[in-house]
Amino acid sequence: MRYLFGNGASRLAPYLLITPGLFLYALFALGPSLATVVFSFTDASGLPKLPINWVGFDNYKEFLTLGAAARENLDALVRTLIFSVGVTVIQFSLGLFVAILLNQGLRGTKFFRTLFFFPVILGVTIQGLMWTLFLYPIGGPLATVLDWFGLQSEFLGGQPREAFIWVMVVQIWANMGITMVIFLAGLQTIPDEIYEAARIDGADRGQLFRRITWPLLTPSVNTNLALTIIGSLQAWQLFYVLISYRPGTQVLGYVVYATAFGQTSGSTAGTTFRQGYGAAAGVILFLIVLAIGITTQYLLRRREARLLG
Amino acid sequence: MGKLIVAVALIVAACGGGATSAPATPAASVPVGETAVPPPTPALSGSVRVLIHQNPPFVDFMTAFNKTFEANHPGVTVEMEVVNANDLMAKTQSRLTAQDVDVIDIFAFDRAVQPFMKNVEAPGWQKLIDAGLLMDITDQAFVKSYDAASVADAGSYNGKVYAVNLGRVGYSGLYYNKDLFAANNVAVPATWNELVAACATFKAANIGCMTAGGKDGWPIFVGAYGLLGSYFPDQLGLVQGLWDGSIKYTDAQWLELLGKYKVYAGEMIEAGASGIAGDAAPGRFASGEVAMQAGGTWYAAAIDSLSPSFKWGYIPFPGSDNAADNQFMFGKYDQGWAIANDSSNKDAAVAYLSEFSDPANYQAFVDAVGPIPTQPGATLSTTLGAEIAPYLATFKIGFENYWLGPKGAGQYATPMFTNLFKPFGTFDDPAAAAAQAQADLQSGLDAAQ
Amino acid sequence: MTALTRTAPVTRRRFGWAKLAAYAILVALAVVYLAPMAMLIITSFKTLPEFTRDAISLPKSFSIDNFVEAWNKASFPRYLLNTVIYTAASTAIFVVTGTFLSIAIARRFVRGSGFLFTMFLIALFLPPALIPQFQLILRLGLYNNPIGYVMLFLVNPIGIVILVNYIRTIPTELDEAAAIEGCSYFRFVIQIVIPLIKPAIATVAVLHAIGVWNELILATIYLTKADYYPITRGLIVFNGIYGNNWPVLAAAVLMIAVPIAAFFILMQRYIIGGVTAGAVKG
Repeated sequence: MRYLFGNGASRLAPYLLITPGLFLYALFALGPSLATVVFSFTDASGLPKLPINWVGFDNYKEFLTLGAAARENLDALVRTLIFSVGVTVIQFSLGLFVAILLNQGLRGTKFFRTLFFFPVILGVTIQGLMWTLFLYPIGGPLATVLDWFGLQSEFLGGQPREAFIWVMVVQIWANMGITMVIFLAGLQTIPDEIYEAARIDGADRGQLFRRITWPLLTPSVNTNLALTIIGSLQAWQLFYVLISYRPGTQVLGYVVYATAFGQTSGSTAGTTFRQGYGAAAGVILFLIVLAIGITTQYLLRRREARLLG
Repeated sequence: MGKLIVAVALIVAACGGGATSAPATPAASVPVGETAVPPPTPALSGSVRVLIHQNPPFVDFMTAFNKTFEANHPGVTVEMEVVNANDLMAKTQSRLTAQDVDVIDIFAFDRAVQPFMKNVEAPGWQKLIDAGLLMDITDQAFVKSYDAASVADAGSYNGKVYAVNLGRVGYSGLYYNKDLFAANNVAVPATWNELVAACATFKAANIGCMTAGGKDGWPIFVGAYGLLGSYFPDQLGLVQGLWDGSIKYTDAQWLELLGKYKVYAGEMIEAGASGIAGDAAPGRFASGEVAMQAGGTWYAAAIDSLSPSFKWGYIPFPGSDNAADNQFMFGKYDQGWAIANDSSNKDAAVAYLSEFSDPANYQAFVDAVGPIPTQPGATLSTTLGAEIAPYLATFKIGFENYWLGPKGAGQYATPMFTNLFKPFGTFDDPAAAAAQAQADLQSGLDAAQ
Repeated sequence: MTALTRTAPVTRRRFGWAKLAAYAILVALAVVYLAPMAMLIITSFKTLPEFTRDAISLPKSFSIDNFVEAWNKASFPRYLLNTVIYTAASTAIFVVTGTFLSIAIARRFVRGSGFLFTMFLIALFLPPALIPQFQLILRLGLYNNPIGYVMLFLVNPIGIVILVNYIRTIPTELDEAAAIEGCSYFRFVIQIVIPLIKPAIATVAVLHAIGVWNELILATIYLTKADYYPITRGLIVFNGIYGNNWPVLAAAVLMIAVPIAAFFILMQRYIIGGVTAGAVKG
């Protein structure tokens, strides 16, 4: 674009204004990220005064190929993807569905909207504690309901798969509100006249959705997909609060934290002070997120071009 | 408002932590160990930054102790951070690195690298010392307050002392509710079969057999340590055997043992135990809803404080059908204190630990928290003290405190500490669990070659 | 016309059923949202023995002892205040710097705008670089320091992406008009562009604020002094120490949740309005 606001020194005005932002970006995002890559080729412990040695690709080799531990790392990787895809698909669909329901002009819409958004602002600790209590296995609410049918469960504490699913449930419960309100706002930008005209043309509900709602919702779809995918790939705070570091439930983000900062549980004794190794795990996580992110962005752009271009 | 004041007073009283000499209010300073404070030392100032792990009686005790310490040393403030035991190493690392801590709560120096181990990561405490982060306290007077064996075993490295250890704990025991046992005519089980029968009796009477803090994972299996101990009394030998291949998880002996674990997890522990945090298990046990609690000696103080009139006993977990094999208590050296080498306030840190180590204060700590004392003069005069007295002479350090797995080993390579069997784990078949555990271990051993 | 007369009655009848179904679904969902909160309230009024015996029964008496105990054991107002300060400070700084950055990038007023935007798109996927970030904060001497903690939240690539996309929807004729009027760059940015992109700024601000508000791990890593804890960390420490006592814990959670809820209900027009304003365009 041509710069219209003067010449000479005033040409520098935009540079001046972006300096703080760029500086912060370089210092807190780009710099540390590049440094992570450097760290990943060393045996840095994270402790001062201990020597740091170049170890080449050893950390990567160990993470990806060494014994049964590598298999568990790969499991964590797969689990990360399952978590992300599951959360994204369900949260996205549910958010859209609820938004459509709330866009029908029903009474009480405002109440429901407030209620469904509320967990978002409670914060991850409160979300986690609320559900830990709700899933209390000895005579708690859900345990009682199961008991009516002669069933029982350890919920968060028993089978890793089951616990994992409950974390997904809480993640969706906690964040569906954001997806919903963004869709709701998107729906409200679509003028009623378009629907009226289509109905007169004899379009049924399915057609109205496919031909009008869905294409015109494109901006909200894009925003929601980006927010949910990125959020779910990197979010593991709920794992920390709900089930801690337990075999069979870890996602990659948590593995990185645990290896680098030495969080242990009774079952994984002593993987401490391995920041180089942790950094390698971090780089692998980044590559995966990047690959997924770029693919999604590409598909979204193509879809947008097809629909709107 | 009146109610509020009463509540505050109650809390303050409770925070005395059982110390007989604890002040009624923190302001009216009749300090715990006043006589022990050496007056001529130059006045201390600044703050002492202390890091400790979560354990309610311990936290309460330390809160009261800090108030007294501050009262004894005007101008000194204590800033104490409390973290989950699982986070303690992580926090220790970051705060030492940041030179942001003076006194550290540190667990015993165990899991040392043994000559027969290869391709293992050195334990965290060793790395801390190698990095020069812990202060050499060999010549500090307060170290002499502790018995020499505990200092050598749990706080020394390469001939120098870096930590004092505050006590041993047993973890292979079983608490039982005396009233429930009497009411149901159940004798205290001395063998595995008797334990199975006792559980059947309680279940028939609609009483839960056993509880444990399943939410934290490890209490479930640490609770049944006696099972392992009755099969392998030589715990260091077991570690070596697993490393050199002379013992395999798929051996007949292990299969039998794993079969018992399955019964223990699936039938003895009450359903829903995974909702109970380790420090909540005493509450569950003291409520009288279950007959037994599998767990370490550190729960005794909580059980007593929750329900002082409650009558309980403590026995080694009977894992064998031969009663003579069930006479050992397994355990470890537990928590201790170290000082940061980069501490900016070493004098105050040393004074802090000196005051803590004063016999009167240490005794108050033992009364409140309930470890098996490491100061020669201190006694454990609680119910627990009486219950474990017969086993102290043959007290053994457990497998957990020797075990280091080779890099690359899978998560089931130490099956003791993983929740293997349903409903807390995924396995139903002891043979499958054994095969998985051996494969996980083997992959690490192979990688170490 | 015939089509209309034919479909109209059908639509009306289906509409009635549809409405009922819609309500049924919404109410069912509302139960999922309300039930955990209800359990929390019930538990907070019980005694520990009551809870241990029967977790879901109603409390026998409504005593506020649990609340008194929780209040006395931790400084929740302080944690809440800390959270508000961290959130407000980091959001303000990020929004101001991010807006300036986005305008220049969206309009290509600086060299390498395209490259910069790509960098931010990539940064969108960067996992937090925990390890070097830790070393950085340490070297800056800002470990266990509120300022250091706030500095962790001054970059948020998704905010930049939302802003840039939104600014691109504003016609460039505007720039020309402003230039003809003799506007300086600063005035153009502050008096013309910023008012126009307020909705997007609101969205970015609220999304960013929610992120900071919810952060737990970084607070765990970087803040050691209890006086500095945000509410997420303060509560989890409280949970660790008094976790065996669900009634007191529930009372603590409730004491924090109630002011948050009151704030949210008062401000929801702005919060929800903020999330959505800039998110549906662009």
